[in-house]
Amino acid sequence: MWFLSFIKTSIGKKLVMATSGLLLLSFLAIHAFGNAAIYMGSKYFQIYADFLHGFPVLVLIFGFGLLLIFLAHVGVGLLLFFEKRKTSSRYDVETRVVENTFASRTMPYTGAWIFVFLIVHVFAFNFGKPEGVKVSMLVQQYFSGFFYSLFYIISFIALAIHLNHGFWSMLQTFGLNHPRYNKLISTLTVAVPLIFLVIFGGIPIYFMTGSAAGY
Amino acid sequence: MMSTIDLTLKIWRQKNSDALGDFETYILRDISTDMSFLEMIDVLNEQLTREGKEPVAFDHDCREGICGACGAVVDGVAHGPDLETTLCQLHMRKFKSGDTIVIEPFRSIAFPIKKDLLVDRSALDRIIQAGGFVSVNTGGTVDGNSIPVSTETAELAMDAASCIGCGACVASCPNGAAMLFTGAKIAQLSLLPQGHPERKERARSMVTQMDKEGFGYCSNEKECELACPKGISIRNIARMNREFLKSFLLGE
Amino acid sequence: MELNSRIPSGPLAEKWDSHRFQSKLVNPANRRKFRVIVVGTGLAGASAAATLAELGYKVDAFCLHDSPRRAHSIAAQGGINAAKNYQNDGDSVFRLFYDTIKGGDFRAREANVYRLAQVSTEIIDQCVAQGVPFAREYGGTLANRSFGGAQVSRTFYARGQTGQQLLLGAYSALSRQINSGGVTMYNRREMMDVVVVDGKARGVVVRNMISGAIESYSADAVLLCTGGYGNAYFLSTNAMASNVTAAWRACRRGAAFANPSFVQIHPTCIPVHGDYQSKLTLMSESLRNDGRVWVPKNKDDTRPPAQIPEEDRDYYLESKYPSFGNLVPRDVASRNAKEQCDQGKGVGSTGLAVYLDFGDAIKRDGEDVILRKYGNLFQMYEKITDSDPMVEPMMIYPAVHYTMGGLWVDYNLMTTIPGLFALGECNFSDHGANRLGASALMQGLADGYFVISTSIGHYFGSERINPVTNADAAFKEVENEVNERMQKLLQNSSGGPSGKVTVDDVHKELGRLLWDNCGMARNRQDLELALEELPKIKDKFWNSVYVPGAADDINQSIEKAGRVADFIEFGEFMIRDALAREESCGCHLREESQTEENEALRDDDKYSHVSVWEYKGDDQPPEMHKEHLVFENVTPSQRSYK
Ligand SMILES: Cc1cc2nc3c(=O)[nH]c(=O)nc-3n(C[C@H](O)[C@H](O)[C@H](O)COP(=O)(O)OP(=O)(O)OC[C@H]3O[C@@H](n4cnc5c(N)ncnc54)[C@H](O)[C@@H]3O)c2cc1C
Ligand code: HEM
Ligand code: SF4
Ligand code: FES
Repeated sequence: MWFLSFIKTSIGKKLVMATSGLLLLSFLAIHAFGNAAIYMGSKYFQIYADFLHGFPVLVLIFGFGLLLIFLAHVGVGLLLFFEKRKTSSRYDVETRVVENTFASRTMPYTGAWIFVFLIVHVFAFNFGKPEGVKVSMLVQQYFSGFFYSLFYIISFIALAIHLNHGFWSMLQTFGLNHPRYNKLISTLTVAVPLIFLVIFGGIPIYFMTGSAAGY
Repeated sequence: MMSTIDLTLKIWRQKNSDALGDFETYILRDISTDMSFLEMIDVLNEQLTREGKEPVAFDHDCREGICGACGAVVDGVAHGPDLETTLCQLHMRKFKSGDTIVIEPFRSIAFPIKKDLLVDRSALDRIIQAGGFVSVNTGGTVDGNSIPVSTETAELAMDAASCIGCGACVASCPNGAAMLFTGAKIAQLSLLPQGHPERKERARSMVTQMDKEGFGYCSNEKECELACPKGISIRNIARMNREFLKSFLLGE
Repeated sequence: MELNSRIPSGPLAEKWDSHRFQSKLVNPANRRKFRVIVVGTGLAGASAAATLAELGYKVDAFCLHDSPRRAHSIAAQGGINAAKNYQNDGDSVFRLFYDTIKGGDFRAREANVYRLAQVSTEIIDQCVAQGVPFAREYGGTLANRSFGGAQVSRTFYARGQTGQQLLLGAYSALSRQINSGGVTMYNRREMMDVVVVDGKARGVVVRNMISGAIESYSADAVLLCTGGYGNAYFLSTNAMASNVTAAWRACRRGAAFANPSFVQIHPTCIPVHGDYQSKLTLMSESLRNDGRVWVPKNKDDTRPPAQIPEEDRDYYLESKYPSFGNLVPRDVASRNAKEQCDQGKGVGSTGLAVYLDFGDAIKRDGEDVILRKYGNLFQMYEKITDSDPMVEPMMIYPAVHYTMGGLWVDYNLMTTIPGLFALGECNFSDHGANRLGASALMQGLADGYFVISTSIGHYFGSERINPVTNADAAFKEVENEVNERMQKLLQNSSGGPSGKVTVDDVHKELGRLLWDNCGMARNRQDLELALEELPKIKDKFWNSVYVPGAADDINQSIEKAGRVADFIEFGEFMIRDALAREESCGCHLREESQTEENEALRDDDKYSHVSVWEYKGDDQPPEMHKEHLVFENVTPSQRSYK
């Protein structure tokens, strides 16, 4: 099958990484857009949540799709990570000409952190959800805990770092590299992660700092 | 104007592919700063020969930065500290008296060490053999001017075609990838109209061969671009990725 | 020895056509039964190997590099000539032919040179089709420049890397054939000898440069495409591994050597800066378009150039050759530079350099214009010398660059050993006593892509070739000789290095001897002296050279030693050839043969021939034969640049 021979190649794997990364990114974007409703107050956020759960089948399919994409991203990511371990530290003196960014160096680790975070997150809001508590209230409950909030904030910082390399890397993998757009791309590589950080990371801060008094 | 420096060299010595290698330390005095790096090694080798020891084996030929034969990792950097410079064109004025210089061979799973600094880079040849050509026989070609090529395209193709096949990109890549080398050839031939008929097949077979040789994958570290003595841009890798994607999505 | 040049009869323009028609062919189905050995994968070798494999012959190709792509051809910068007349400036096949013959000072064969000019146009088409990224005009057509003083723009180029791009084109064609099994490629194999069976070349013995093993390979024909021997001089612009071994070993087996003393010395190279110097770097000739050559008027003037006022400068080329000035041909420029330095007016720390000054050009055209034209070259110069030509005049000195001499071949490129062919710089054929810029690339590719296929077909079609294998006694015998030779190279090594010399020591000595006595300007006395000195160098080599390491290992010292030993033997041919040619022609000045104005004087009555040397044994001088040159289509004229 052509997909099999595709995925066997190095660039094929990279393209799986980039495609899954892009899909995860799009999911994040939608998620972020929805979550932004929190800043408008509990009422609006609850409306959004109820609306979503009005289509249980869709949510299920969506959830499974996401899981699959996720597994693909993590799976191939791990494969590449182990392959990389075979080749690194070859020299007695290691000098990097381009000081490779903290972000690119830590891709598997920031990725792993996100992975752990997501398990916690999904359990907290889906499976582990206490009976009868509204999601909008749950959010408030969770984020009143300092450590829980801190965990979230750190996780979103990790995500931002992950994307700080991931975003441009994804475009390069897709073959998008042109002097005319490279400036834009390098701006977006900083801007996109920041936007996510502000929206997602803002939520716990919103509750912690008490700005959510009227929530 | 002529000034000289004293150096300590730590050079990787390895008898053959099977032997375990190790560093040996050598002291060199009164090295003229006008010397090229390879001339400095020549001086060391003459010294070793006179001492009845075996000189350091290393590949080199043109000493003008064009044949791609030379190359070693100097203080952790492929081809040494000077940007866009092959080892043979690196000059000793880049070093200071008293410096200790660590010299290692290009290392990669796909580049077995044969002796000292001399490695086997024939894997790169096999990548080209897999498809880095236009399938035309001698004779029967159309007039050179019958297919116009814009200056811009010709220049971009030439940028990619300047690769000297030295393997520094592989040596410097944390993943030991040969993407810059392979990308440069795929880019050259996909830019020029003469390469179009075979572009899909070419991208697939060259990438497949590259993987088979044991080169790593690319995690976009950009290290290769800076190690490359010819300043080949990773834009060529992007182009290869595109060609490769197209070949799978649209190829037969 | 019989020298039959096999020049086809008929009018010049039709010779090649009628020759192809009259040559025998091999049926396509039968071609795979023939095996051809190609030694060397430069422009000539790679193109020949690919082309023959495309036709269906089985090819074994050998090179001494780790990859066929690294052959010395890669270093050519300037470009490649072709009589395309794309610029509509009056070029034609005949004009390219004429320029090449005249440039060679009427010491080449008309028929060969005409064929070269004819196929030159096909070379460009071939290379374009392979994806060679030649420079283009804005409209998308191929760009040309005028090169080496030519009055038409017929030089095709790919930045300053034409040789590289052409070689990579030929290498890609070769790679395609390796992939499809038509060519078996043997990297890192140094040819040590040819094997001749029943008077025909039937194979080679090579040294595996990784294992040290001596291996032999048999075939039905052998092509030598092993480049030039400029490294006999130790310092040259040639790559470090360029050597005469293959050609010289063939010569010892009966292939005659033509014009061994015809060596081109390029005027614009970066001067030597110390005895550790390993090779010389060529700076493009185009620099002389804007740079002015000068030396101080007074001997031993050690002031820095900026402090030497105009009246103390001697722009010797401009004053001696008012109409050509700094653009005199390579040999004239080289000779004059050496003359100035010999008079003690040389500059730089060694006194072996002249200035090439861009000061006036910068004043006239502005920094931008000059940088745009020469920026790359200036950068390269600065990288090597640490001096910026925009600020301080460049220093240049002549260096050995190209060898017009080579194995004697007939019109088919076959040497005097049947079945042994020589292509590219390795043969003597097309450049006479001097090669024009951008013509070597053309010749290498003409030989490999377009000429050899006809010759090989004809040879196989007309000769009876008995089967042999590399297990035959003839091969074993040569293998043994090579093995003995390797041992002989190591004979001095057992007692350790003390009191001995290194290979480089001897090579430098040989280089100095040849440069001083058999260089740009020669005279009988010096040449005779050199002939006396040479055996001493040879004795020194065999009696006291110390070669470390073993024969059955990667051993770059023994590789070098073998090549130097051959350069020493071959040096005798060079000196004798120079001695025998008592005329000035092409690249060299024979001091006894000058005009009243001290210009080169050619002597067509006595020397309108190719000097062809036959090896007669180690303790006998070689014998010279003459191939007389006949000019039916051009009239030899004396060059004059006054
Ligand atoms: C610096 C420089 C610039 C030049 N610029 C130009 C230019 O602008 N235009 C131009 O027309 N010409 C130019 N020339 C000349 C031109 O490059 C050469 O004449 C030409 O490339 C020779 O090609 P070749 O195929 O005959 O030999 P080479 O390219 O020298 O190839 C020789 C081959 O033989 C192999 N070989 C040699 N000895 C052995 C052995 N014993 N056993 C096995 N293999 C062996 C080598 O591995 C190599 O593959 C230049 C030359 C130099 C030095
Ligand atoms: C929402 C979560 C995530 C998003 C949006 C995301 C996004 C991306 C993107 C866009 C890339 C760049 C792909 C490319 O280089 O072509 C990438 C790379 C990577 N991701 Fe993620 N990722 C996420 C989660 C994870 C997780 C959970 C892991 C797991 C372990 C992970 C591991 C990696 C690794 C290792 C790479 C680098 C691959 C390489 O070396 O080129 N990511 N990610
Ligand atoms: S891409 Fe650059 S570093 Fe890699 S082989 Fe080519 S020239 Fe060398
Ligand atoms: S020796 Fe040729 S590139 Fe360095």
